[in-house]
Amino acid sequence: MKVLIIEDELQLAQSIISYLSGQSYSCEHAGNYDHALDKIHLHEYDCILLDLMLPGGDGLQLLEALKKRNQHEGVIIISAKDSMDDKIKGLQTGADDYLSKPFHLPELAARIYSVIRRRKFQNNNIIQQGTLQIDLLAKTVHVGDVPVLLTKKEFDLLVYFLGNKNRVISKNALAEHLSGDMAGMLDSHSFVYAHIKNLKRKLTEAGAGNYLKTIYATGYKWEI
Amino acid sequence: MSKLLNRSMKAFVLYAGIVFACSIPVYYAIVDLIWQHELKEHNHIVSETIKQNLQALSLSDTALTESVLLWNKLRPENQLQLATALQPDSTYNLYRKNKYIPSKGYDRFQGLVTYFLLNNQPYRLTLETNMEETHETIVAIAVVTFTFFLILLVGFIFINRKISEKLWRPFYQSLRQIQTFDLHKPNDIRFAPTDIEEFTLLNHQLDKLITGNIAIYKQQKEFTQNASHELQTPLSIVKFKLDLLYQSKTISDEQSELIDQAHQALAKVTRINKNLLLLARIENSQFPETAIIDLPDLIADQLLQLEDFLQEKSLQVVQQLTPGVKITGNQLLVEILLTNLLINAIRHSAAHQTITVKLTPHSLEISNPGATALQESILFRRFGTFSSNASGTGLGLAIVHQICSVYGWQECYHFENDLHIFSIRWA
Repeated sequence: MKVLIIEDELQLAQSIISYLSGQSYSCEHAGNYDHALDKIHLHEYDCILLDLMLPGGDGLQLLEALKKRNQHEGVIIISAKDSMDDKIKGLQTGADDYLSKPFHLPELAARIYSVIRRRKFQNNNIIQQGTLQIDLLAKTVHVGDVPVLLTKKEFDLLVYFLGNKNRVISKNALAEHLSGDMAGMLDSHSFVYAHIKNLKRKLTEAGAGNYLKTIYATGYKWEI
Repeated sequence: MSKLLNRSMKAFVLYAGIVFACSIPVYYAIVDLIWQHELKEHNHIVSETIKQNLQALSLSDTALTESVLLWNKLRPENQLQLATALQPDSTYNLYRKNKYIPSKGYDRFQGLVTYFLLNNQPYRLTLETNMEETHETIVAIAVVTFTFFLILLVGFIFINRKISEKLWRPFYQSLRQIQTFDLHKPNDIRFAPTDIEEFTLLNHQLDKLITGNIAIYKQQKEFTQNASHELQTPLSIVKFKLDLLYQSKTISDEQSELIDQAHQALAKVTRINKNLLLLARIENSQFPETAIIDLPDLIADQLLQLEDFLQEKSLQVVQQLTPGVKITGNQLLVEILLTNLLINAIRHSAAHQTITVKLTPHSLEISNPGATALQESILFRRFGTFSSNASGTGLGLAIVHQICSVYGWQECYHFENDLHIFSIRWA
């Protein structure tokens, strides 16, 4: 899976590359508008991360150029602009997702995973891992033939973990993923523990392998 | 409310009315004086004519007596009588009935009594001339004056309208321009040029003011965007680095705890930054779109999103919602307002307590149990109740206050029956 990161801040780009490289992604980086335009014209990508404020041009213009080519790469806007207007404008221009900075890297990885899934496997949106079978479109989970009934949040967590295989994810990141801005406003994140516990229990009861590990005191990992 | 020029015209009309009213007795007095003067002169001429003609006749005493008798019979109003001695002339002015034409009622007469010698006998001649009566004169003058006043009034109104249309046209044009002006959509304002100094000055100053405001508005807007961008990037870097650090193979429980704490502090800084920018943006009126919002729906929605936090603390929520209550406002701002109030209640409730959300057609009340009253004067201020070790940013209620002031709603806190009650009134 090829990911292009269009981001002028080198530190951010490096962090993203460093995080994503651990998965099956190969990453490329463009630090300005012209460089990004060259790359878009020369190569094909599965997913493009696009910063809106770029040296040499506006990210939205890049997005328009991309959409004219009518290719199937997914585009996720990562921007410091977080006003509703910017989000609507970005999504209307043709982005698949919009993430405003600062976000957690596992959040980005999960979103990339979802975008690629949606773009690439439109007819058969099923992930198989051992005996575990997840239908992203129907939002159902089976272990072998046994259906596992998950709540919306448990399913959400499962997909989040699948997008961050073999990565340690902090409870903070999970809380922010589950409840957005509200997570930070309240002290305790033990509700995350409750959801994880339920997910873990349901999967083990159905006979799936024990993929979900608790790491250190505050993190979790989907290990395969 | 009356127009400027109409107001000045009222004064002019009033003044003209007073002047015209005062002129009536003055006219009358002058006309009467002229009349009296002229009639005195007339009587004098007549008396001289009679005098000289009689003297020229040189009648004998008996003929004279007969002539005088005949004169007095023919002209009873002009009596010629023997007098005891010559006396100086005198005049009088009186009302009396004409005994020959009594139907005419009282008439006014100007009289002259003059003495002269005829055949060495002093004679007294009384001459009376009918003159215009006072009440007739004054009525005539009043009617004429009033007619002219009416003509003047019609002229005033007409001229006033013409002047006001022409004179104030640039003013009303400028007014229309300002009325249609909206800082959120600053289309170019062009004031039409005028040849009136004051309006040119006014337009110039308005132009300066508006251009200045647009510039400041743009500047502030840019500032919020730039500040957001400038702060968000370093915050992102720290966050990413912590995320990466978390992936290290050799990390210990203790280090993991440290990263977690750093994450939490970072999340708080991020939120303070976001909230400050939000406040700036509300102050700059950058949320102009409004919609009609169904409050019971929105409250249910918000409570659903907060479900995890409610369950975590085993909090009960009692909803007393009047169905179908709608308010007009910006969707995002109303959501923020509700979230902030609800989170506030959740944060300050101990486990197993009950939060009450009460919605009436004119107000919203969110209450949670508490021990002591809070200080209302600082509650809605920025960082008013800020404590460094809590998760709050100290800005939540300031944002509530700011949103309320945008829409003219009234936010209020009171402590009653061991309950903290926050309420919003919008009507």
